[in-house]
Amino acid sequence: MDIFNPVFWIFVATTGGIYTIMALGLYVQFSLAGLPNFGHVAFMAVAAYAMAILVARYGLPLPVGILGGLVAAVILAILVGVPALRLRADYLAIATVAGGEIVRYLAMNLQGLTGGPIGSIGLLGPGKIATFNGSWQVFMGDIAFYLKPIFGKYGRPDTAMAIVVWVFAFAAILVLWRMERSPWGRVMQGIREDDTAVAAIGKNVVGFKMQALIIGALLGAVSGMLLALQIGVFSPDDYQPTITFYAYLIIILGGMNRIWSVPVGAILFTLLYTGTRFLNVYPLTLFDSGERAYLRLFLVGLLLVLFLAFRPQGIFGDRRQILEK
Amino acid sequence: MLLKVDGITKAFGGVKAVQGASFDVKEGSITALIGPNGAGKTTAFNLVSGFMRPDEGTIQFDGRRTERLSGHTVARHGLVRVFQTARVFTQMTVLENLLIAARHQPGEKFGAAWLMPGRTSRREREIRREAEERLALVRLTHLTHERAGALSGGQRKLLELARALMVQPKMILLDEPMAGVAPVLGEQLMEHIKELREKAGITVLIIEHDIDLVMSISDRVIVMDEGRVIADGPPDAIQANERVITAYLGRNAGAAA
Ligand SMILES: Nc1ncnc2c1ncn2[C@@H]1O[C@H](COP(=O)(O)OP(=O)(O)O)[C@@H](O)[C@H]1O
Ligand SMILES: [Mg+2]
Repeated sequence: MDIFNPVFWIFVATTGGIYTIMALGLYVQFSLAGLPNFGHVAFMAVAAYAMAILVARYGLPLPVGILGGLVAAVILAILVGVPALRLRADYLAIATVAGGEIVRYLAMNLQGLTGGPIGSIGLLGPGKIATFNGSWQVFMGDIAFYLKPIFGKYGRPDTAMAIVVWVFAFAAILVLWRMERSPWGRVMQGIREDDTAVAAIGKNVVGFKMQALIIGALLGAVSGMLLALQIGVFSPDDYQPTITFYAYLIIILGGMNRIWSVPVGAILFTLLYTGTRFLNVYPLTLFDSGERAYLRLFLVGLLLVLFLAFRPQGIFGDRRQILEK
Repeated sequence: MLLKVDGITKAFGGVKAVQGASFDVKEGSITALIGPNGAGKTTAFNLVSGFMRPDEGTIQFDGRRTERLSGHTVARHGLVRVFQTARVFTQMTVLENLLIAARHQPGEKFGAAWLMPGRTSRREREIRREAEERLALVRLTHLTHERAGALSGGQRKLLELARALMVQPKMILLDEPMAGVAPVLGEQLMEHIKELREKAGITVLIIEHDIDLVMSISDRVIVMDEGRVIADGPPDAIQANERVITAYLGRNAGAAA
């Protein structure tokens, strides 16, 4: 693929949209309610696995699988939140890291259930090839049929996927944007600033935090399932802890506390991340491709450090807000 | 009795901050809680308001046992506290600081802003009117749209008092409301506290170090020392009490403790 190929840009758009939904989940938890969730990827993974297992192993229809994925993420949120949300924020940070790692080890080691390190393809055990996204591809194909008149030869299933992803992302932004400006959002802002003071005026702080955790988990679940449906075959490696870190980068890049900057941060991050793939010019060609893969991660990191050094408030953020208290 | 505290105890590791304190607060009274620094007054407030759980003892507010309830539930029952160091929401405007504290806003349920926009905005208008009245009362109207972070310490205390009143309490707990407040604002604050009792019938329990002030506004004074209640009675009786004089008034010779 090269940079002038529209198929590449469709891929970037889809990935950026999935990352937007993922980062929106973290936005609700971290930017809105002040909850440090360092295991966001676990909500994505749990949902993806629940969906794939229900469909591939139990032969249930995909919508049931998706529902199962959402339920699994909510259960994980409750398991993490009930013990940790009553305590100080740092306990939630630890609980989410632990929860995330537990999910990953279970996915790796419960081979009978998850297919282990080979991933979703091994869901039916050795010697059989498991798939779970057949009906999704049919669905995308159907949409693509209606896109043909508009997009011509690019009215393809992957274009359909990009559109579905972004329709969902914008709907989620719209709902959250409205909620943020409602009395509900005002209580969340209070909790982010000083949860003791919010309790003192008679609001159930733990209840509000649980809502934020669950809403964030649901958005994480949707992004995790979309990622699985996009790549078709996934393994625990597709849900590395670094993905949680990407979600934080996206929020920071866009500028915290501003919901419309989440999609911008996500697109920027996706461009940075996939764009560095094209660094095959001299003198970088002196490195072999394996070395270039690491170089790419290094460059992404370097760019982000420089960005934060010169614009710590993000693209849209207000510098005053992060400097004063 | 609106509040009945019986034998409450709280230890932090080896430090027994409150050891078997008992006291009552009569409905409609202004009661002062005094005592030297470290006597356990703030801890007693934390216990009464549900922000800490007593190791022993019982607390009854408005006919209900509350020692096992959480802080927000106690506040909902009508017992609202104001903190020793003002805890206003600095990133919100002065007005928003009051709006957030109002009760019965259906829009605080997730999704309600979509599902019942009419009810939410109707209640929002009522709340706003109420908030504007409270701001006028504490003379912060000129700062309505200012960020609360820009307020002085004294103004923050006034704002926090106004915010507590938005919860429509039966009783408020004030922890050293005068500390760090400019004298002019302090006098204003005292006037408000008296008015609260007179006009709104709100019961006040106040921790205060200024003895003259305590004696002038309170109907009753409770004295704590080393985690215990050592005296309890009308202001003039307290001023004459030997134990109080040696434990507190004498030791600090009239100055603020
Ligand atoms: N959260 C806490 N952890 C440990 N010790 C505390 C805590 N709160 C108060 N104390 C201790 O309890 C004692 C009483 O403190 P406090 O209730 O703040 O007294 P006062 O308000 O009368 O000055 C002090 O010795 C104080 O150091
Ligand atoms: Mg104190």
